[in-house]
Amino acid sequence: MTDHSLPEGFADLERFVPEWVQPDAEHRLAKRLSTDMDAIKAFYGAMLARGEAALAWLRGHELGTLPPEGENLLRLMLMLAEVAPAVEWYNDQRVYDGFPVERLRYIHQISDTAAQV
Amino acid sequence: MNEMAKPPVPGIGITAKYPEIGTGPCDTAIYHEPEIYEKEMAAIFRRSWYMIGRVEQIPKSGDFFTYYLPTFRLEVLVCRDRHGEVNAFHNVCTHRGNVVEHRREGHSSGLFVCRFHGWSFDLEGNLAKIRDEEGFFGVDKACNGLKPIPMGIWEGFIWVCPEDEPYQSLEDFLGDQGRDTAGYPWGACSQFYQTEAEVNCNWKLVNDSPAEVYHIPVLHPKSAAPTMMASGNVMGRLLDTRVRGNHRTNSHYSVLGEPKPVQKLAYFHAAAAQNVVQEQLDYEMPVGINPTRSPFWTVDLIMFFPTIAFTLSAGMYTAHQVWPLGPNKSIYQQRVFVRPARTAAERFGQENTMVEFRDIVMEDFSTLERIQRALDSGQIKQFHYHDHEMALRHQHHVVTRILADYDREQAAA
Repeated sequence: MTDHSLPEGFADLERFVPEWVQPDAEHRLAKRLSTDMDAIKAFYGAMLARGEAALAWLRGHELGTLPPEGENLLRLMLMLAEVAPAVEWYNDQRVYDGFPVERLRYIHQISDTAAQV
Repeated sequence: MNEMAKPPVPGIGITAKYPEIGTGPCDTAIYHEPEIYEKEMAAIFRRSWYMIGRVEQIPKSGDFFTYYLPTFRLEVLVCRDRHGEVNAFHNVCTHRGNVVEHRREGHSSGLFVCRFHGWSFDLEGNLAKIRDEEGFFGVDKACNGLKPIPMGIWEGFIWVCPEDEPYQSLEDFLGDQGRDTAGYPWGACSQFYQTEAEVNCNWKLVNDSPAEVYHIPVLHPKSAAPTMMASGNVMGRLLDTRVRGNHRTNSHYSVLGEPKPVQKLAYFHAAAAQNVVQEQLDYEMPVGINPTRSPFWTVDLIMFFPTIAFTLSAGMYTAHQVWPLGPNKSIYQQRVFVRPARTAAERFGQENTMVEFRDIVMEDFSTLERIQRALDSGQIKQFHYHDHEMALRHQHHVVTRILADYDREQAAA
């Protein structure tokens, strides 16, 4: 990674790259399940504070045209979506008293970065 | 989203609208007895239609996908032919029975070539070429094309029937429920996540799981409950349950509570689809969706008996599908359909939608294998259904009625 793996203005989030940049939803779930809650909360807190700014940047960019640092920023935000229930609903990586989510197989995914229209 | 100050709290009285369904406790035998399951296979499953995909998955001539119907152990190949028509075949080579197309999806240049001995079939299913044909003893190519499987399309969904001669047409199978929900922009939600899991329970328990909201305040205290119990609906009651033949729809009461922080980002900065409100619709809501026309509506659970239900809101929907494998074993498939994202911010909204629905279903499914153990061991012989668990009572009524009709049919034959 270079020292510019995220768009300008997001240097404070560089410390989450590449660890929290996962290639798809299945890997994001695996990352959530394999990370302890202190680390999840640190990521969640830092990302939430920059959430509106990150979405403002992402709103100005169409899927299919993202530069590599934009893809990284989007994937950090997708990871925020993945860990949100762990922090906001369960205070646990896992769904509280839930069906074991690792028994769920991903059959079809929406691309993280490809154009959809 | 619903800003009226004091919405009315839903009352009791859904079950009373359908007196033929009754109010007493229901015998649980249909949830576990192997002989009943075998009878269901003949009387219900072989006579039904099954959704296996959407037309948007194969937009161009030559596009295809394959699908395995686990309940019937049938391999199916769906493709768009040279005339733009959708065709569905048994995905079985007529030479020795291997699958003709082994990939899950893709594009064919015009021939499906079996990877066993190289027999090839065109997009209309004709046997085009037998490799080294002179070594055979008069195989008639005209009689050895791919075997079509009965197929129909409703609102862009591709359905197949496992019987060569369907018991009823797809249109009759879908009935009023299909007519009353046509016109929703099913095809506009062209992006989807699909997941599946094997669950050790009877197929009806999978259907039951989202089909009552009596459990919402208890099983989903942090996730679904805050909106569905808001504004005084502390018992988490429904607006209505509407029965149409074997099918049914639950209409969910919901008032927007205070969103959680990441939900707030998704709803207000990333156009998350579960938050589309009725006032923003770019289509006319069909009569079978939010049938009571309540301003406090957010979600319908639209069930097409026996195996598929849609959790549908104004801007997106989730398909819940169960494939029975035995009296106490099923496969659950979930597809979360959302509208295409243009910007990268909207992609975040899609992910928030998928993660929320997945985790809420994991909350629901915590109960299924536990209930099945209690059924299999004989620890629970009756279910007592609440007025707002009417959908489960209706399913019990429909299954019991069909099995009794089938018994009479067999006795008369």
